[in-house]
Amino acid sequence: MSLIQTENLTKIYGHGETAVTALDHVNLNVGAGEFVAVMGPSGCGKSTLLHLLGGLDKPTEGRVVIAGQSLADLSDDALAAIRRRQIGFVFQSYNLIPVLNALENAALPLILDGTPAPAARAKAKEWLSKVGLADRLGNRPDQLSGGQQQRVAIARALVAEPSLVLADEPTGNLDWRASDEIAALLRQVADAWGRSVVMVTHDPRIAAYADRIIFLRDGRIVEETHLGAQGTISSDWVNGRLQANS
Amino acid sequence: MSVRHALLGLLAQRPRHGYELRAALEAMVGGEENWDVKPAQVYTTLERLADASLVTLEAIEKEAGPEKRVYAITPAGQAVLREWLADGVERGHQRDEFFIKLMLCLISGEADPYQVIQAQRAQLYRELHATMAQRSALDPKRELAKILLLSKAEMHLEAELRWLDITEARLDEVRRQPLPEPPARPRGRPRKALNRA
Repeated sequence: MSLIQTENLTKIYGHGETAVTALDHVNLNVGAGEFVAVMGPSGCGKSTLLHLLGGLDKPTEGRVVIAGQSLADLSDDALAAIRRRQIGFVFQSYNLIPVLNALENAALPLILDGTPAPAARAKAKEWLSKVGLADRLGNRPDQLSGGQQQRVAIARALVAEPSLVLADEPTGNLDWRASDEIAALLRQVADAWGRSVVMVTHDPRIAAYADRIIFLRDGRIVEETHLGAQGTISSDWVNGRLQANS
Repeated sequence: MSVRHALLGLLAQRPRHGYELRAALEAMVGGEENWDVKPAQVYTTLERLADASLVTLEAIEKEAGPEKRVYAITPAGQAVLREWLADGVERGHQRDEFFIKLMLCLISGEADPYQVIQAQRAQLYRELHATMAQRSALDPKRELAKILLLSKAEMHLEAELRWLDITEARLDEVRRQPLPEPPARPRGRPRKALNRA
């Protein structure tokens, strides 16, 4: 059973002669707990796909179905609720609030969604511990390394217990080792915590952590490569790395 | 890379017989899937090294089973080993099966070059994933050498994947250029067929 389905998903920007087809009838299924990487040259439609999956943009044609719910059928309020509760976002530049510490940043989505502060903080603490930052709760972003900031962002993405995590170039600003650590953590998000992960990346090594790679070109899926059975990368190893680098 | 230098290095550590040498070599490279050296190759190499006085037959052990000929390195062997260790390793020739495949695909038109590139890309990604999976099962406290060897393999795969991207992006340019042909034969006897015509 797929958690996400896209049916003929199409996005055209502009009209008439200047119209640009960013996404062209894309049919994609992502299973629960599956880790999918999306690759392709710049301008191939990677980011458009991610935005449509996340309900941040509306398709010109076709639709996105998440957990049986078509995003097109939802009111703006209902769509916003899905974005807050079903989908976690991870960005290249972390997008943490500079004046808040790790705990406050991670708790923010719950606070904004009306969860009482003590419960939100407890939940944020739980997820920060899971990503190996139990001893960094009080640190502000500028007191954390890039890899640690991205881990706070992943904790923030998971704090509302979403079923889907969307990551846009999550290792784009990180060095070799921290990139490895973040890719391993996203592996964990899928394997150990059962969330579906869709990650846009241009880094081959990071993409190779996924279960499947989708190659986009000119808005179309030109190839899908299955990399191995799910869970072939040892979660003990992933855990070990997170503890070692915390 | 030669078995010869590998055996000299292992014998510099301590005298051993052929079977032990092969097992030690295999363990060092992380299994025969990484470098499969046949027993016969070990024994013939040992004989040649002995002929060149780089190793010497130290003892013949006769216990249960076949006799074991234990070899030791000689000072001349140590000199050859040190010289080899001190030299840089050449990265090797540019023989590349995939490159040949791509060129033949362009020449013959028997396959879509983009699909040939994609098939290779899928292959490399599967290898990269499998290598990382293999590495993730190792214990860095006991198997660091093997982890480093696998990391090197990953970096090579990564480089090949990047090269594929570059090649794919420039494939149309390559197609517009005349593909390499052998230089015209300057002299020599004309072909018979041409003679008759």
